[in-house]
Amino acid sequence: MATSYVHPEVLVSADWVEQHRNDPKVRIVESDEDILLYDMGHIPGAVKIDWQGDLQDQLIRDYITPAKFAEICSRSGIANDTTVVFYGDKSNWWACYAFWAFKLFGHADCRVLNGGRKLWIDQKRPLTTEVPSYPATNYTVQGGEEGAIRVFRDAVLEHMKAGKPMIDVRSPKEFTGEMLHMPEYPQEGSLRGGHIPGAKSVPWSRAVNEDGTFKSAEELTALYEGEVGLKPKDDVVVYCRIGERSSLTWFVLTYLLGYSKVRNYDGSWTEWGNLVRVPIAKGA
Amino acid sequence: MLTELNEIVSELGEADKQERIEILIDFAKRLPPLPDRLSAFKDAAHRVPECQSPVFLFVELEGSRVAIHADAPLEAPTVRGFVSILVEGLTGSTVEEILSLRGDLIDRAGLPEILGMLRVRGLTGVLNSLKREVTRAAIAS
Repeated sequence: MATSYVHPEVLVSADWVEQHRNDPKVRIVESDEDILLYDMGHIPGAVKIDWQGDLQDQLIRDYITPAKFAEICSRSGIANDTTVVFYGDKSNWWACYAFWAFKLFGHADCRVLNGGRKLWIDQKRPLTTEVPSYPATNYTVQGGEEGAIRVFRDAVLEHMKAGKPMIDVRSPKEFTGEMLHMPEYPQEGSLRGGHIPGAKSVPWSRAVNEDGTFKSAEELTALYEGEVGLKPKDDVVVYCRIGERSSLTWFVLTYLLGYSKVRNYDGSWTEWGNLVRVPIAKGA
Repeated sequence: MLTELNEIVSELGEADKQERIEILIDFAKRLPPLPDRLSAFKDAAHRVPECQSPVFLFVELEGSRVAIHADAPLEAPTVRGFVSILVEGLTGSTVEEILSLRGDLIDRAGLPEILGMLRVRGLTGVLNSLKREVTRAAIAS
């Protein structure tokens, strides 16, 4: 049983961020659910990268092109060898989502500020509304990791048929299928409620503490291995509604527990719940 | 007719993206606190179900005029700012005026451009919820 994180270096503390704020090799990136938060006050020196407006293609349901990604990095003063530290609201959901997207493009050194925006503010650390500007870099997209960390619907169907493990990280009512039955609740955008047969329910929030930090290695092992029976060498698929909450679970399994093959299904329920003739399970 | 709301919407629509963000932040900051007599009723019946954040709407009729009170967390400034626009822009309007509001006011204010389509859905939910509350208040009176 893991008693410490397998890759502890991917998590940095608020103290570390304060010490490296002016380090030219480090760039702090805020990525939030609520896009106004950065402009209300952010960690001095941090840049904003929006998961939706910046990292997602606005026409096709996909991520941006490598050329566009290089442009965003260049404009944010991120070079190929920059250490990029992500933080954000909601216990770092969106920070983990941005982290995952950066990994899709093969950025080498990505980290997460443990505790995110909330803990930084709760500890009364400095905030500013000043937007920094950095000299543009010559960013070259390395690419190459997509196959290892992202999975598409046909492969998920095969994965399901093979009975391999899947973790559904949505709330319990979304898992059972009750959620779409709520009156006047059309915004999930799915025609069917329920989950992918064989998936186990572990809401993403069970991996984090009240203060926004990640749970300890012992607690995480007890949850994912003790409760749902995953093993570090398993081939695991994680999903949620659009792939954002599941990128937090992907981060936890891959880096904190050191799992070798975890892929995020970013099509998630908004794709599966609309597909014709795919199997769906209801109930707990 | 809805002059105040239309003015806010036009101001937003004509602003550039960064100005829109700042206008929304200003509105988020100045949403008045709920009156004490209402804050005890922050329950499911007054919660906007389409929002992930706890957003509460209260509608009262004063004669033929609508009074709106609302609460939304400071940590969710986008929805709080939008709620604040509705409170400021629509208080004093008639039931008919509010029910005639079209969903395209969010587009006219240029909000999809700064928020993206996924975030805009929550705001449409707030507007629909407000109309529901207004209808309920009108029937009750």
